[in-house]
Amino acid sequence: MITMRDLTKRFGERTAVDGLTLDIASGKVTGFLGPNGAGKSTTMRMVLGLDRPSAGTALVNGRPFAELRHPLREVGALLDAKAVHPGRSVRAHLLAAARSNGLPGRRVDEVLDLVGLEAVARRRAGTLSLGMGQRLGIAGALLGDPAVLMFDEPVNGLDPDGVLWMRRLMRSLAAEGRTVFVSSHLMSEMQLTADRLVVIGRGRLLADAPMAEVVASGTRVRVRSPRARELAARLTSAGLDVAIGPDDELTVSDASAEQVGTLAHEAGVPLFELTARQRSLEEAYMELTSTSVEFGVAEPRVEVRA
Amino acid sequence: MNAGTATGVSAGTATGVSAGAGLRNAFAAEWTKVWSLRSTWWSLAISMGLMVVIAFSVGQSVVDDNTNAQRGDDQGIVSVSGTAIGTVDLIQFVPIALAILVMTGEYASGTIRPTFTWVPPRGRVLTAKALVVASVVVPLGVLLGVAGTAAAGFALGDWGRFTWADAMSDILAFALYLGLICVFVLGLATLLRSTAGTLTTAFLGLMALPMLLTGPAVSRPLAESLPSSAGRTFMGIAEDAPYRGSIGLAVLVAWTAAAMLFGRFSLVRRDA
Repeated sequence: MITMRDLTKRFGERTAVDGLTLDIASGKVTGFLGPNGAGKSTTMRMVLGLDRPSAGTALVNGRPFAELRHPLREVGALLDAKAVHPGRSVRAHLLAAARSNGLPGRRVDEVLDLVGLEAVARRRAGTLSLGMGQRLGIAGALLGDPAVLMFDEPVNGLDPDGVLWMRRLMRSLAAEGRTVFVSSHLMSEMQLTADRLVVIGRGRLLADAPMAEVVASGTRVRVRSPRARELAARLTSAGLDVAIGPDDELTVSDASAEQVGTLAHEAGVPLFELTARQRSLEEAYMELTSTSVEFGVAEPRVEVRA
Repeated sequence: MNAGTATGVSAGTATGVSAGAGLRNAFAAEWTKVWSLRSTWWSLAISMGLMVVIAFSVGQSVVDDNTNAQRGDDQGIVSVSGTAIGTVDLIQFVPIALAILVMTGEYASGTIRPTFTWVPPRGRVLTAKALVVASVVVPLGVLLGVAGTAAAGFALGDWGRFTWADAMSDILAFALYLGLICVFVLGLATLLRSTAGTLTTAFLGLMALPMLLTGPAVSRPLAESLPSSAGRTFMGIAEDAPYRGSIGLAVLVAWTAAAMLFGRFSLVRRDA
């Protein structure tokens, strides 16, 4: 359980995170989406007590992270897989982590086995591939068997096998009742993994809803008819949002095939095609974040901070 | 690839521990970290080799001065252990580099963030690092003192004056100085966060600055109260010591405490 109340972070003039209020529930995978520079990493860093909020609070299991006695036993986090000393062995890195929280050394071997790194335990971290480094980061997050897990871009650098493994891991962690909070750029991957979505843009909350709701809200119906313009007028007068494309192809937003078909039947208009298409998460995301630019306070700009 | 059996045990919660146990755990983690890097072993080996070579060559040059035709450069019979610990100006930079890396290595590799998620109280992280640095450097100082005394004694032969009491107090003072100066520099590294920046600052502050300031009479007292000068006075190897050795130790401790306090303040205040 992660709780944020009016969480705000300003870097000088720039507001990176702007009054986020969120509850990340247990037993679910919550996807954390937003464009580069939207404030995802900063939010996660504030939850972990690495950045000091300019205002508001972030709590883990009801307490500020800094007050946790054995943080690794409550929160496992993977922020940056490259944040390992390149000269230190895989095992020594995890052993230092285990000792910092009074965990037994055998737990290190367990998590190495779990992420499939037992064969490279003695190798120096600097010699690991990107994918292996990512697994090392995940091993570190799982070390203390925590109830809350936070992953920042966990599938970066993983091969398809690794992506599938990561997806199953996150699903199983949530199924065990843990809180799984994961940021990603990969929409298709999020659509397969997350139960709930949190979308932010320019540090502001754009959406916080179940995945099904975010995706379903944008169902579209494509219609082809020899009397397309007549049908378009009929649909519009019924209060539907209709767009006329090339070859008089109609796209009806936020409608079901049943609605459109019934209206066409009442008007006596023949139909050649009637296709309902669920909006992909990617499309939903693009709409959400483009709105954030449209109604943003300043003009669009390039943001440097990841 | 068995994500299904991913974590085994059910979601755990923390049990309360005392702050002492927290520091013990933080120390254990830092201890594991420092010994799992090759650079640590290298600095031990290099400082040892350097000490033997320099102590021997300083001893040898005393012998040369005493036995050559010129009478003006004669130094007579010198203290063996004093000759060994007199090499401190150079030798110290090897353990100092080790102490710097204990902190700046974390910023360079980005591990400072994992470190703070393992141990959120940042003051505790710094304390643990200081204890680890002292636990490595003080025994190293004793070994260096012994090796240097042996090497200098070998070179000096009859020109060396050796007593167990002198050797003991010289070597212990040397080890204590190295421990304090390394913790001082660790505090500096915590403020500056950069390896090159800290090493440069340490070199200028410990070597160049005392030499520059000692010339003009007006800045002399300042030169004499810098950490390295205070250390030399404490170890009894300063020329014309301006104050007693115990005051030198007090000045050095004050510098170390101040560096740690400022370092801690910066560590707690600034974002990681």
